[in-house]
Amino acid sequence: MSDPRLSRRALIAGAATTALAAPALASIGAKLGGMIDLGLPGGPSLRPTTPAFPGKGEMIVQRIRPPLLETPMDAFAKGTITPNDRMFVRWNWPFPTEVKAAEHRVAVGGAVKAPVSLTLDDVAAAGEHISVVAINQCAGNGRGLSEPRVTGTQWGNGAMGCAKWTGVRLKDVLAKAGVAEGAKRVRFAGLDVPLTDGAPQFIKSVPLDIAMRDDVLVAWAMNDEPLPILHGFPLRIVVPGWFSTYWVKMLSTIEVLTGEDESHYVAETYRWPSVPVTPESKDFPTVPITAMPPRAFITSHADGATVALGKPLVLEGIAFGGDAALERVDLVGKGWEIPCELGPDEHGPYAFRRWSVNLPQVAGDFEEVGVRAKNVNGAVQPETLVWNPSGYARNVIERITLRAQ
Amino acid sequence: MRAAATLILALALAGCDSAPKVVFADASLTLPDEPVELPEGPGRDAVLENCTACHSPSTMLQQPKVSKEKWESIVGKMKKLYKAPVDDAAAAQVVDYMMHVQSQPEASR
Repeated sequence: MSDPRLSRRALIAGAATTALAAPALASIGAKLGGMIDLGLPGGPSLRPTTPAFPGKGEMIVQRIRPPLLETPMDAFAKGTITPNDRMFVRWNWPFPTEVKAAEHRVAVGGAVKAPVSLTLDDVAAAGEHISVVAINQCAGNGRGLSEPRVTGTQWGNGAMGCAKWTGVRLKDVLAKAGVAEGAKRVRFAGLDVPLTDGAPQFIKSVPLDIAMRDDVLVAWAMNDEPLPILHGFPLRIVVPGWFSTYWVKMLSTIEVLTGEDESHYVAETYRWPSVPVTPESKDFPTVPITAMPPRAFITSHADGATVALGKPLVLEGIAFGGDAALERVDLVGKGWEIPCELGPDEHGPYAFRRWSVNLPQVAGDFEEVGVRAKNVNGAVQPETLVWNPSGYARNVIERITLRAQ
Repeated sequence: MRAAATLILALALAGCDSAPKVVFADASLTLPDEPVELPEGPGRDAVLENCTACHSPSTMLQQPKVSKEKWESIVGKMKKLYKAPVDDAAAAQVVDYMMHVQSQPEASR
């Protein structure tokens, strides 16, 4: 393990880790399960893993309370749907651990013709039942890999997943109250609330044209099961192609706005620079982080894996186009690139799609080999990180090194 | 411990004219306890009193190494924006503790 890269993403048995790192973090890992190395540059890079959260399999613990659970990359090695027990979990504030279905209401108000308070049955009866397969990805996915590092939740690349979401169109729910003249945005709030008086509630809004899209949902099911509490029972917003910060969970309020949204999580955070910046930049203009860019990952091999010299090699992985369908994926090395074969388009433009590439003969080590996704709008993953102080929307080409033996 | 959520999606039978029916049931879960174990260091008590209500110790220990000014700015943001009731003396101790923790090798955190 003299080459630090070889240890990246290596799974370390909990017991062994406890022996070499007795104090706090490792002992938390020992109590919960194992430890995993996320390969975060400069560290700390080890995270506890646990199957202890209700309804979840083995997940990486970024925070216990309120939970931030990351999906280990091995969950993406097969298929295009992320099972509910492997989907990442992200809460900004504490949330109720019990919800009575009959008592839950969704208030629809603000700039509407007649405010209403809807039961879950009212919501389910608001319109046609729609299913959309879409990637749910945290705006900060991959933040921990930023160089220079930035503060915030230190995610590896596992704050993402792809699921089938079922519900009714948001516009059909809005129609129960009737959108009034002059409406500009639609804001959502859930049952999660701050611990301290006066702290901002986690509320988010989207422009009216996004809210009225045919595929923007008020969803109650995830992969044909009821939304688990950790994913927003009983209802959450689904905005295919947009980062999950807008996919408000435990939906309890829908508010139509006639102007800009001045609330904290829209006006002050979840924003990124609209001009190039460096870590020294100050007072630069920002815009909300909204639509997702394309990304691709090698899932068949971890960084530092060994491949057979002189033998054929098949590399596989997942890719997505972000807010538009995936067009192509290329395997890229230093000064060369090879087109990858895309798997079937199983679930539409907002879902994971598999890719693979057959290499006839391994002639030596693959230094810093990566995959580059391009979507049908022409957006393509950049060679270098578009660094920003909050570590949002990472989509630099992810590279690994394979050793030939 | 499994979630007690048992909502049933009762889809209408093929050929049926009625819209698909969805039945909502109550849901609850029990979250795992936090194994609170912050390493010893100057200001540890201030962190326990002022920070751990919202922040898991593991989250604090997982942050990348940043400057003292950055920690001061983060604690300031917790007070100003998130209304954390932290007095100035405690705030200084919290910054000292984070600087101390980040000066330790990763294996001892």
